[in-house]
Amino acid sequence: MDALSFFTPMTAVLIFAGVTVGIVFGAIPGMTATMAVAVCLPMTYGLNIDNSLSLLLALYVGGISGGLVPAILVNIPGTPSSIMTTMDGHPMAKKGEAERALKIGIVPSLFGGLFSATVLFFFAPPLADLAIKFSYVEKFLIILFALTIIASLSKNLLTGIFSGVLGIWLSLVGTYDINNGGNGETRLMFGWMEGFLSDGFSLLSVLIGLFGLSVLLAEAEKGVPAEATSQFKLSGAKTFSLSVFKGQIGNLIRSASIGTFVGLLPGIGGSAASVLAYTQQKNLSKAPEKMGTGVPEGVIASEASNNGLTGGALIPLVSLGIPGDSTTAVMIGAFTLQGLQLGPLFIGEHLETWDMMVINLFLANLVMFAIMFFAIRHIVKIIQVPKYLLYPVIVVMCTVGAYSANSGIMFDVWTFLLFGLFGYFGQKMGLEVTPLIIGFILGKDAEIYFVKSIESYGSLWIFFTKSPIAMALWGLIAVSLAYSIHNIRKAARRGKQDAAP
Amino acid sequence: MKARLLGMCLALGAAVGVAAGPAGAADKPISGNLRIVIGSSSTGGDTYQNAAIVAEALSKKLGINAKVDAVGVSAAFAAVTRVSDGSTVMFFHDQSYLGHLLGLKGYPDIFKDLRIGPTVSINPGDAFVGAKDSKLKTIEDVIQACGKGERVRVAIQPGGVSEVYYGALKNAVGIRFPGKEGNLVSVKTGSQGDKNQLLFDRQAEVIHGSVQANEQYTRLPAEDQKAMRFLWLPSPSSTISQANPEGMGATGRDELLKFTSPNVHVTLDGKADFTFDKEFFFLYNKKMDPKAVAYLDKALSDIFAEGKVQVTLKKAFFIPNFHPSKEAAVYLKKKAEQSKALIAATR
Repeated sequence: MDALSFFTPMTAVLIFAGVTVGIVFGAIPGMTATMAVAVCLPMTYGLNIDNSLSLLLALYVGGISGGLVPAILVNIPGTPSSIMTTMDGHPMAKKGEAERALKIGIVPSLFGGLFSATVLFFFAPPLADLAIKFSYVEKFLIILFALTIIASLSKNLLTGIFSGVLGIWLSLVGTYDINNGGNGETRLMFGWMEGFLSDGFSLLSVLIGLFGLSVLLAEAEKGVPAEATSQFKLSGAKTFSLSVFKGQIGNLIRSASIGTFVGLLPGIGGSAASVLAYTQQKNLSKAPEKMGTGVPEGVIASEASNNGLTGGALIPLVSLGIPGDSTTAVMIGAFTLQGLQLGPLFIGEHLETWDMMVINLFLANLVMFAIMFFAIRHIVKIIQVPKYLLYPVIVVMCTVGAYSANSGIMFDVWTFLLFGLFGYFGQKMGLEVTPLIIGFILGKDAEIYFVKSIESYGSLWIFFTKSPIAMALWGLIAVSLAYSIHNIRKAARRGKQDAAP
Repeated sequence: MKARLLGMCLALGAAVGVAAGPAGAADKPISGNLRIVIGSSSTGGDTYQNAAIVAEALSKKLGINAKVDAVGVSAAFAAVTRVSDGSTVMFFHDQSYLGHLLGLKGYPDIFKDLRIGPTVSINPGDAFVGAKDSKLKTIEDVIQACGKGERVRVAIQPGGVSEVYYGALKNAVGIRFPGKEGNLVSVKTGSQGDKNQLLFDRQAEVIHGSVQANEQYTRLPAEDQKAMRFLWLPSPSSTISQANPEGMGATGRDELLKFTSPNVHVTLDGKADFTFDKEFFFLYNKKMDPKAVAYLDKALSDIFAEGKVQVTLKKAFFIPNFHPSKEAAVYLKKKAEQSKALIAATR
């Protein structure tokens, strides 16, 4: 009971408020869990450590979870880590299964969150020791592994790879940042562009431009009917039942494990977790050709992994003093402002705070599940709003999201518009948006880890010989590519058979 | 009747309050919101921590809503250059002028393009750290190893105080062992996590860290791959002596003093040791109203005279160091000139 002694009515209020605010941030395209924590961090100045961590952890869990709502309902990932949820979630909504898709999404979210909190509690120090075995070389290979999904997601392999490479190229525009050990020089731009492009294109603006605006423009081209009801139904023939998880236990555990594992590696973003989990599910699925058409397993993989990230990212924070992702990087401020020193001895020296953190994480996940499960019946009505009313609201929200992405930079709004148009016209020319955005998300980290590996070891061979972990990762990359090529060939053969008279 | 009288009194009071409110606010050069942009995008670093402590003190003192915004270098300089009415100010440390001296893009000449505000505090915790099982157990071992022709790699973040410390060490090797300074090489990297990782991988013999970030690692047993030891604290002993006796974590102030000059020597010119205080200060828009500058100077002067903020700063292992704007501008300009000479000597 001592472990629960921190729990007061104030704690309950903060967890509830934090989760709710976090969900709202996650659900607004362009706003993220990181922003929710950053905005609320100053509010913790006056709170004690228990209450401030209750609030921040609740914001974190809510922010990560809220991203699935727009991903499923309007095909715009609320946060970068919910990008893969759009793949099957939105097609389900189109089939009239929006409510079912949302409910399917929050169950693995809860599972991923609780799974990672359990792993955090029992294995934080040994996993932190494992995390430091991953140097620049291994981190580059993990990103390369995640990039192999481009092969399996492409409708046409050649244009898919082209789109992915284009995404990587676009991610490198800007300054080779000294904060990443770069030289501070700008590249891939003309001198006159430095005033507004020195920080490159903002990820959130690119994401909501490509996923949001380009789709809205395509819909607008078809014509927006003035009738008061949407073409989408709230619920179709299939309703939510827990039986959907039958046969998905492996997917749940694997995806939550991938999320937790990626979370514990500092410097590899949450998007990589959902991309990796989705890739592995597609490779191991009995019906890989159905993934991307609106099947629950895709939503389960993405959501279990991105919530699995939460506990994972806290492992290096409490065991090494190094944040696992951008949100825990903001959270570190709460510890330092309270005079708490994070590092390898933190858990042993602050057992009460540690227990409180884990309990808070469990509670925040349960509260998130309760709020979202019971709010879904109301949230889902969004898709019944007539498009002529809904679309302008989405554009306004996206614009606000883009503007606030980096504390009020107008160029981010232009980026959103530019990439919206680019996505709209690009898709007409065969460009594939999903590989492009995956390339964009992973490209910058891939470059940093590649260059730093070469700088440190001075040889390309190091990628093959650095460690048994590196060799194992090459094995996984090879298997993933082989599966993807096998699946593409199988789909092509089936297409030919279907076309035959 | 009583109720009516009470109502009239309340209405009169409210009217006076409404009338007096804006007039009172208008009298003050800074009122309402104060946005303090910092030159770091991290909320876990020393810049945010110092700024947050000062912001809270200013909020209470002036009855305003002062908030720290961790926007990073480019955005912070852009914001403070754009807004001249005093509602946005910048807070950063010596990197704000070192970046310019080192020729980095996006760093204006703060002495020409901006207005220097008051200094507030010092972080005495910057440190050079090595692996506990390394044969390089002191900074003298590092200098000697370079002198003997061994290559010693130092992980630093380019473009800031980290590069100045590295330059000073290289300069010391050159003075002690002319021609051997090339044996000290920098490994340019980013976050503290990246620098720690280089040490864990033994891809660097020395890293730039800090007492705050690395103290727990120094208490690990030597057989642990993560175990570290302090080699050198560039802050002068006169600064560290002002810290609380308990120091940081389980490492007391006296223990930390063993790693500073004059207990260790990184010579500047063959006679005196190099020392450097990483100082935090405000930067204002060039056109900011002098009344607003004086207003903030006065507020901070009163805050430091009260003495509470010093306790908070020292608890977080920072050293209070308030100097009003004019004094700070002269002092920092002189410090920048000295740094310029050192950078020129080591390039």
